[in-house]
Amino acid sequence: MVTQARFTAGRADTARRGPMEEPGWSSDTGGAVYRSRDPVRNLRIRAHIQRVTSTGLLLQQLQQPAGRQGKELVSLAAFSSHPAASGYCPDDEEKAVIGWQEKLFSQFEVDLYQHESACQTPLDRQYHQEILKLEKSGGRKNYRIFTYTDHDRFTNLEEHCQKVTSSEQEVPSFLAERMANLRRRRQDHRPTEGSVLKSRVITWEPSEEFIKNNHVINTPVQTMYIMGDLGPYGMLGHREYEHVLCTVKVDGNGVITVKPDFTGTKGAYRIELDGEKRELWRYTIENASAQVQQEEEEREQRMFRDLYSRHKEYLNGLVGSDFEMTLPGALRLFVNGEIVSAQGYEYDRLYVHFFLELPSRWSSPAFQQLSGVTQTCATKTLGRDNVAYFSYPFTLEMFFTQEDESEGSLPQWPVIYFEVLSLDYWQRHRVEGYGSVVLPAAPGFHTLTAPTWRPIELGTVSELRRFFIGGSPELEDMTYIRVPGTFKGECLSRFGFRTETTGSVTFRLHCLQQSKAFLESSALRKRMQSVLDRLGGFSQQSSFYNVLEAFQRARRRMQEARESLPQDLISTSSSTVQQP
Amino acid sequence: MAEVHLIGQIVGASGFPRSSLFCKWGIHTGGAWKLLSGLREGQTQVDHPQLDDVAYWSHPIDLHFATKGLQGWPKLHVQVWHQDPFGRRELYGYGVCHVPCSPGWHALACVTWQPLGSWQERLSQLFVGGGPQLLNSDLIYTGADRYRLQTTAAGTVHLELGVVLRHFARYGVEC
Repeated sequence: MVTQARFTAGRADTARRGPMEEPGWSSDTGGAVYRSRDPVRNLRIRAHIQRVTSTGLLLQQLQQPAGRQGKELVSLAAFSSHPAASGYCPDDEEKAVIGWQEKLFSQFEVDLYQHESACQTPLDRQYHQEILKLEKSGGRKNYRIFTYTDHDRFTNLEEHCQKVTSSEQEVPSFLAERMANLRRRRQDHRPTEGSVLKSRVITWEPSEEFIKNNHVINTPVQTMYIMGDLGPYGMLGHREYEHVLCTVKVDGNGVITVKPDFTGTKGAYRIELDGEKRELWRYTIENASAQVQQEEEEREQRMFRDLYSRHKEYLNGLVGSDFEMTLPGALRLFVNGEIVSAQGYEYDRLYVHFFLELPSRWSSPAFQQLSGVTQTCATKTLGRDNVAYFSYPFTLEMFFTQEDESEGSLPQWPVIYFEVLSLDYWQRHRVEGYGSVVLPAAPGFHTLTAPTWRPIELGTVSELRRFFIGGSPELEDMTYIRVPGTFKGECLSRFGFRTETTGSVTFRLHCLQQSKAFLESSALRKRMQSVLDRLGGFSQQSSFYNVLEAFQRARRRMQEARESLPQDLISTSSSTVQQP
Repeated sequence: MAEVHLIGQIVGASGFPRSSLFCKWGIHTGGAWKLLSGLREGQTQVDHPQLDDVAYWSHPIDLHFATKGLQGWPKLHVQVWHQDPFGRRELYGYGVCHVPCSPGWHALACVTWQPLGSWQERLSQLFVGGGPQLLNSDLIYTGADRYRLQTTAAGTVHLELGVVLRHFARYGVEC
């Protein structure tokens, strides 16, 4: 396949390969981030580079075949250990599996570090030893693919000199320099986590070190470059032909950044060389780390499942698994409410008196307080209104039971009636307003602002009396705010009753509804529009409800028993079933 | 058993007569509730706003409750205090609000009030500060004995609360 490709032009070649190999190139060289709990030393990366012959090269081949052949022979001779296949240029393609921070020397480095005189740092000397050892054991295995590890000079330089724009005069920004400094410093000695600093909240005199560590974001990373020496035949070891194939960064938390990403389903990456030849190289990067064994993974999952179920049991032990339930066929309405504020009233020092009216078929537990009085609150000016803040919490709990379906009428909803009163310094009472709020029929959070009115008499005398000695017309029955309880007729007329608009009271209500009917209709929840729709079927359901619940309980118990069985027992039993 | 996660923050306070405020907060629940993790009460730093009168605390709240019933749904109560340049502390407001019972993110404004003293006390409050405080802090989050109180309207505490509910649907609770 490869030899064929050598003698055909670039585009045609890719077309002929067919669907077996990925036909396109991947131009997305962005990085990808992986996360692994395993130690990073298990990371293995397989790199594969391959020359795709360019048209320029083809022409050259045709013009001077002999010379090129000669060069190839030279290169073959230089790397004598390579098993040369007949008619196959070893230089064209190379595979390598590279471990984390594994050093593969380039031709350049081999040439450089062979002589001890070139070695300056301890690292250089170590490389010198390693290269000598390699030579003894029969030369290195890699030619084109090599690596720069975290300790190499290149890693720091690359970080420092990376350009991000096309600007000619781009210099690394201040922050970039700081980051580079930090990184270089950190590889030598990792800073101890600031356990000393935790006792203090603020460092009043931050040290130079502290500033460096904190002003520049960083979890220390280790870097590694997988490089390709893409020089022409026999011309390995020139720095200008070195190209970065892949950058791998790993931080202390197990985050692995691979740039460009592993070539999975995407096409291979390509590098087009400069110069007159314009050679084209394709390369792939793959994750070649040893995968977890199936059994091990299963064991791990079992362990996690065990842990989670233990934790669940622990919670159940703490709190208990039961939950207060309503009777079948009953709706429990639970309201967490607050009287937030009253605004826009004439006089100061307001308080609110309220009570809850339960219509027929509603009931409430015996301990439930159904009325309340807030504190007296002096107002403050906010915008154009005088507001009084009460922040008065109350909790209402009530039950709705539908005895007979045949009654047919929709249930009435409970109502909060309230009056706002003012009580001044001389103990003069004034009625400031009456109002009512129907509890919301939808569960959730509701903020309701109820406007109020107060009854007035014709003439100025009563107003003067209200101003000077307090007191004003009051309602004898507060249910007159809505439909009075004593009313029996067809048409309610309030003709002759005069009122004046006063301020408003803001309520905040958090409503919860609980019913066994909701358990069954939860599947239908989306379709049901209001709570009334769902309450409709109470009485029919209640008869066979108990049967259904017993069935569900039995089914749940069966599932639990099944889960607690050992896995292998289930699998063997299923396999025996399949065998006949 | 159903569970409630409450994750949010006390953002800040506005509408108080002077800035450099701090806030003490707490969560009050009924007997059926149990705190599994998180801090039930806390206190913010003192914030000195530079331009307007809004103090920002951004104080985190992260609690996890388990419950056997709806009774005693958690209530968040706050006390706003003022600290003057001499380090003296002065009460500015009490407030309470229910933790929302519907899941999701809620921005709440919790209004506060301050006990009102006699006119002599108010006069001295005007010049040297101070003022009456509650003897029992349970009056902040209960309504029963409120009628004994004389108060005046104070500022507003801003809250952002995220609520995550678990297993409530299993017991037929809609929220």
